[in-house]
Amino acid sequence: MQASSEKMERKRRWLRNASSTFTAIRFLAPALLVMGVIIIFPILNAARLSFYNYELTKPKEIAFNLFKNYAYMVHDKLFWQALKNTVVFTFFTVVTGLLLGLILALVVYELPRRFQGLRGVLLVPWVIPGIVIGYLFMYMFDVEIGVVNYVFQQMGIIKEFLPWLMRDNLAMIAIIITHVWNQTPFYMLMITAGLMAIPDEAREASYLEGANRWQEFRFITFPYLQEIIVISSLLMVIRNFNFFPIIFTMTGGGPAYATTTAVLYIYRLAFEHYDMGYASAVGTFWVIILIIVSALYIRTLRERF
Amino acid sequence: MRSRRNSIPAYVVIVAILVVFLVWTLFPMYWMFSTSIKQTVHVFDLPPEIFPSAPTFEHYLHLDQGSIKVSIFFMNSVINSIGTVLLALVLAVLAAYALSRVKFRFRKAVSVGILTTQMFPLVVLLIPLYLLYKNLHLLNTYQGLILAFTSFTLPFSIWMLKGFIDSVPIEVEESAFIDGCSRLQILTKILLPLIVPGLVATGVFAFLDAWNNLLFPLMLVSKPSMKTLPPGMILAFAGEFKHDWGGMMATSVIVSLPVVVSFVLVQRFLVEGLTRGAIKG
Repeated sequence: MQASSEKMERKRRWLRNASSTFTAIRFLAPALLVMGVIIIFPILNAARLSFYNYELTKPKEIAFNLFKNYAYMVHDKLFWQALKNTVVFTFFTVVTGLLLGLILALVVYELPRRFQGLRGVLLVPWVIPGIVIGYLFMYMFDVEIGVVNYVFQQMGIIKEFLPWLMRDNLAMIAIIITHVWNQTPFYMLMITAGLMAIPDEAREASYLEGANRWQEFRFITFPYLQEIIVISSLLMVIRNFNFFPIIFTMTGGGPAYATTTAVLYIYRLAFEHYDMGYASAVGTFWVIILIIVSALYIRTLRERF
Repeated sequence: MRSRRNSIPAYVVIVAILVVFLVWTLFPMYWMFSTSIKQTVHVFDLPPEIFPSAPTFEHYLHLDQGSIKVSIFFMNSVINSIGTVLLALVLAVLAAYALSRVKFRFRKAVSVGILTTQMFPLVVLLIPLYLLYKNLHLLNTYQGLILAFTSFTLPFSIWMLKGFIDSVPIEVEESAFIDGCSRLQILTKILLPLIVPGLVATGVFAFLDAWNNLLFPLMLVSKPSMKTLPPGMILAFAGEFKHDWGGMMATSVIVSLPVVVSFVLVQRFLVEGLTRGAIKG
């Protein structure tokens, strides 16, 4: 008798589980279907194409070639340059953005409450479309009439006008400055959220014990912010690894390949050289890198919650 | 309660830093606007005019007089973005509800999977997506673009709405469930009214995503009459119009205005939702 009621109970539980799994599927299906068709299926397809010799301009030569694209990639100097560019660009953008965002968040947090609305104004660069930012800064960095040259010259930083977007290192610097302008608000926002989560008691205690401002920051504020800094940096590394519109409009990856990051290289291979097979190989490699960074990011999030 | 009062010198430092940041933030935007109302001759002045001496709206008026009409791009952007907001909200609410309220196997795997798709580089999937769209006759259509925008805005929308649903106590729904309401009824009648700020924030985000997207329309739309603003700008300011700074900045103002205005209007919700979605993941 007891055994059978246990059985019944188990059966009931199974039914409930089954029906809830069915419910979940019904609710999730539309979203997963759209994402599957538009994102997952093409990504898998790109992975397949990466094993093919597939140039749009030579339709007769389309053939399976196993690892030939990947073998070529290892020796492709431009590929390595694109990787280096991506790392340089991402590193400086994230570090500078983070520092400025931190300062900004701390400064605004010190203001009396009624001035905290300034935060909204400071956030605006973050929502301006990438293409607009690209054109705007291309105009401001212009060699002949760019206001950046004029202001820098007036301030005595430079002697004569610089061709910002036409010289290798300068173009990279211009692009980093532009991205920092665009992304600093994001860090400010995240760090502000972190600041708000610090219990007042912690700050108060440090004050009562006679800690000075720097000590308070070093031993109270910063430890609380550490996690949010790691999370937002990882998120921004991912974002910058993928970032396209601003570089595309400002330099198109040039001069030559000086500002061609990984995604721009993939774009140029596919849509300037029409080499779909090789573009897919570089793309697949890039997806794998991004999955690794994302895994790091997700692990950090999980440890937190 | 703030434990520490700022001394006057401390305030001076704070205000000084703030002024520098405000100039850094606002100047580029001001420059965009002031160039857009300068007469063409003054756009090329050196030293540049900080304040336009003879403001004019000629650049704005010219945007629709050439063979390329910015108003058409604008309409397309509006249609695609609103379509994306509606579709993304419906799909994301359903999915977020399941992830937040229904216990099922692989829930964690599905959540993490959704989060990961957000990280994929758009460029990589463009090649196969182009071929797929060609076969499905989705190139140069609103449906095609709306689906593409939606797929990329869904992961974030789902996570953000999940955060909002998580924060609603479950007791109300339980009693409704016992009273015999279906899950869909509970969702639409009880839960949705409670998460209106979340819906607004998510909707605005989907709007920004769609409005700002360059790559999808650049590749999936070739007809000028179907282009949205970002690829439209590239079309409009290529070749001989490359240095039409006045026109370019006027278009930039028009492209930015809707996002900046919607951002300012719902800023409070947006900040709350963003920190929720991004931090709590």
